[in-house]
Amino acid sequence: MEFKDLDPILHSQLRLAIVSLLISVKEAEFTFIKEKTNATAGNLSVQLNKLKEVEYVEITKQFKYNYPQTLCKITRKGIDAFEQYVNALQSYMRPG
Amino acid sequence: MEDKQLSYDESMKLINSMIGKAKKSYVTKGIAAIVWGVLIVLCSLVTWAEIRYDFDPGFDVWMLLLIALVPQIYFAIKERKQKKFTSYEEETAAYVWTAFAISIFITSYYNSKYGNDTNSYTSLIMILYGIPTFITGGMVKFRPMITGGIICWVLAIVSISTGNDIDMLLMAACGLFAWVIPGIILWNRNKKRQAENGI
Repeated sequence: MEFKDLDPILHSQLRLAIVSLLISVKEAEFTFIKEKTNATAGNLSVQLNKLKEVEYVEITKQFKYNYPQTLCKITRKGIDAFEQYVNALQSYMRPG
Repeated sequence: MEDKQLSYDESMKLINSMIGKAKKSYVTKGIAAIVWGVLIVLCSLVTWAEIRYDFDPGFDVWMLLLIALVPQIYFAIKERKQKKFTSYEEETAAYVWTAFAISIFITSYYNSKYGNDTNSYTSLIMILYGIPTFITGGMVKFRPMITGGIICWVLAIVSISTGNDIDMLLMAACGLFAWVIPGIILWNRNKKRQAENGI
């Protein structure tokens, strides 16, 4: 059986949680991701920036009703990487 | 949650859990559906009374639907302020309901200009009611709305061979099954969820 390498960017708990959340929605606020992942704001910021550096996630900072808002959205590259990661995981887990 | 390495099994479980959390976050309170449904029922019953008992309320009761847009817009803005994410389902639903509103407007205009045949117009409106209700129900896997959409179409078929007064009762039934009942179910679900989460 051929084993595919797992993407090191996605093969980490918090980054995988972020991408799995973002794959299910069109876009999400920083506070929504923080609430769903139970991560600290600092750690979440660091991991989001890592995902942004590899262009898996787009981050937009704006104002909504006079309050600052950080919006996160998965990119096409991020979707492809996630699909490849899930395919690789499935090939590892398949019996035989 | 930390930044730790995962086993393959843990990774799969995490992916499923986060996708599940995102899906569960898509909650609608059902207020818009209840308000709209109650108005359709009310207007249909008043129109039925107008036809059956020659009753005149002194104004076009269907104008209430326009007035109802004010609280609808208020609730939409309030929900939007509290929203922390946009789901694909919501975006698609917005397009579907906008298409519905435009279709209702054009059909009303066409009917007033060329036909003014209340009987066939009511059947057409019921067919239109079924479309967004069925699609939205299917999209969010909400059976009461799927059923509501199908009921609208069945009643539209029935209305082809009934008179104007009965058509209005059928229209009221459409409002009840397509919006009031699903809206109340959503409202109760949301209350239960809030109680569970201590909101």
